[in-house]
Amino acid sequence: MTIAPILRSLLARHKTAGSLVIVEIALTCAIVANAVFLIGERLQRIQTDSGVAERELSRVQLAGVGNQDDPHGQTREDLAALRAIPGVDSVTITNQVPFGSSSWNSSLHLDPDQSEPAAHAALYLGDADFLDTVGLRLVAGRDFRDGEFLDYHPEEGWQQMLEVDTVIITRALAERLFPGDSAVGEVLYFGEETPVRVVGVIEGLMRPTGDSADAPGHHSVLLPVRTPYTIGGSYVLRTAPSDRERVLGDATEALSRPGASRVVLEQETFEELRAEFFHADRAMGWLLLIVCGALLIVTALGIVGLASFWVQQRTRQIGVRRALGATRGQIARHFQVENLILTSAGIVLGMGLAYAINAWLMQRYELPRLSWIALPFGAVTLWALGQLSVLGPARRAAAIPPAVATRSV
Amino acid sequence: MLHMRTISKIYRTELVETHALRELDLHVREGEFVAVTGPSGSGKTTFLNIAGLLEEFTSGEYELDGESVRGLSDDARSRLRNRKIGFIFQSFNLISDLSLFDNVDVPLRYRGMKTAERRRRIGDALERVGLASRMGHYPSELSGGQQQRAAIARALAGSPKLLLADEPTGNLDSQMARGVLELLEELHASGATIVMVTHDPELAARAQRNIHIVDGQATDVEALPRPGHGGLAATPSRI
Repeated sequence: MTIAPILRSLLARHKTAGSLVIVEIALTCAIVANAVFLIGERLQRIQTDSGVAERELSRVQLAGVGNQDDPHGQTREDLAALRAIPGVDSVTITNQVPFGSSSWNSSLHLDPDQSEPAAHAALYLGDADFLDTVGLRLVAGRDFRDGEFLDYHPEEGWQQMLEVDTVIITRALAERLFPGDSAVGEVLYFGEETPVRVVGVIEGLMRPTGDSADAPGHHSVLLPVRTPYTIGGSYVLRTAPSDRERVLGDATEALSRPGASRVVLEQETFEELRAEFFHADRAMGWLLLIVCGALLIVTALGIVGLASFWVQQRTRQIGVRRALGATRGQIARHFQVENLILTSAGIVLGMGLAYAINAWLMQRYELPRLSWIALPFGAVTLWALGQLSVLGPARRAAAIPPAVATRSV
Repeated sequence: MLHMRTISKIYRTELVETHALRELDLHVREGEFVAVTGPSGSGKTTFLNIAGLLEEFTSGEYELDGESVRGLSDDARSRLRNRKIGFIFQSFNLISDLSLFDNVDVPLRYRGMKTAERRRRIGDALERVGLASRMGHYPSELSGGQQQRAAIARALAGSPKLLLADEPTGNLDSQMARGVLELLEELHASGATIVMVTHDPELAARAQRNIHIVDGQATDVEALPRPGHGGLAATPSRI
């Protein structure tokens, strides 16, 4: 291999041009590695499992206009009307849904005197049909019993909803609160003195807003509380995926019948909710992808430009090399090896720079530490880009005839 | 060593055909020092290019060291050129980016020689031309004569069967030219086969035999007995 003389030649005679390409590749490598890492993060977020049967669920959100005489009675009528729609398998009402715009949360204590909460979690208020309708799977304990439900009256204050005796929690929360032990039968406190007992553990239920600084995405507590539609919650309908659109139309019509005393705020499938929720992540992913693409194109053009210039500048030298016995392949390889050396130097520099940029982003925007997996991805991309970019100039160099060596200067 | 029979070379463009060589017959025996002379445009460079496998010929037969070169692929011609021919160019053609060591190394690397063997040959070749102490220098740090000596070392390092020299002293002053010529004569005396293209009659007179090319055809011009390197007896004859 001819690496040593090519390297010596680069170091001795082409320092400036070579350094510029190395810096360009290093910057591209650093930015691409960070961008790829950020895109990976966004993709991972977009694929977050909500824990509910999204493909079969739709929701309708209502808001009351003026005073509502009997919101619980109206809610029961609504639920009955929704169940009567052909194609509806089950219906429930809840204060919030995954990917929704609002989130009810509470800190949790294992001891009423505990100064710092043991965890923070989202509070889902649900009726007897909640578990089955949204598709939650119990992994330990049991569902709520009929006598454990209470009706939530907002006019009595928000603390009223916490007067329950039992709760169901997610597995992630159970592992956080009672690591290594069964959570069923254990006691929790919502910061008050009244204890609530854990009667069941479900596989998972995403907090409406997903991960946050104070709690992971699947720290949720389910309370046996029937809510009226007036608190801004949603009716959730479970249907076959093919029936969702029609059922949603029928449901909206059924809920609109009572007239001017309320309005439909939202009506959408859970897939639409998810798409809307991750819209910014997708947009950021595309933006980063476009920036990466543009950067790679500019870098490729830089490599093509320099390699073409060097081929033109060294036409006679290439002719001499051919006259001295170089085959066309050996000439092409010369330029490919030269590019490999420059690209590798740029990649090594770029990896250090990638960590520096990441450290700065971590400090400024609380981003996670760059995963090392992003680095080989950046390196392979840059190596491939370098070799592809130099291919054209290398082929042109290989086509220079050996007779150039005997031409008069 | 070098046998060309009825070699023709025609350059064709859309409008014109140029006959650079016309059924040229030319033979060089092993160990000979032959000068090829002729006026500008006579076909000297075309002959050199074809003899050195730098260009293909249009028709005829060419055998180099007993091997027919007709119809060889580009890669095969490159390998043959690398193994059997050493080039000495008028403008030296050293690679300015490389040290003398790396310059002499170029044809050896293309042959795929082992590192130790290459180092030995490079050292020997530079020693032979008196530049062993300058192997780390770059061409721009040497005089014209030294550059041509380095180019000769590059040509010798691969132990070629044939040395092809294209106006080897054309870019040198008379003192440096004398030194280079003496080196070529030494090489010839040690058994090298040399074909030198030149339009300098004085230089040609130092060769063992002269071949004159005019209008793409060769005529032999026999030299007088060597001792005095004296004038030439112009007795043209078809070789």
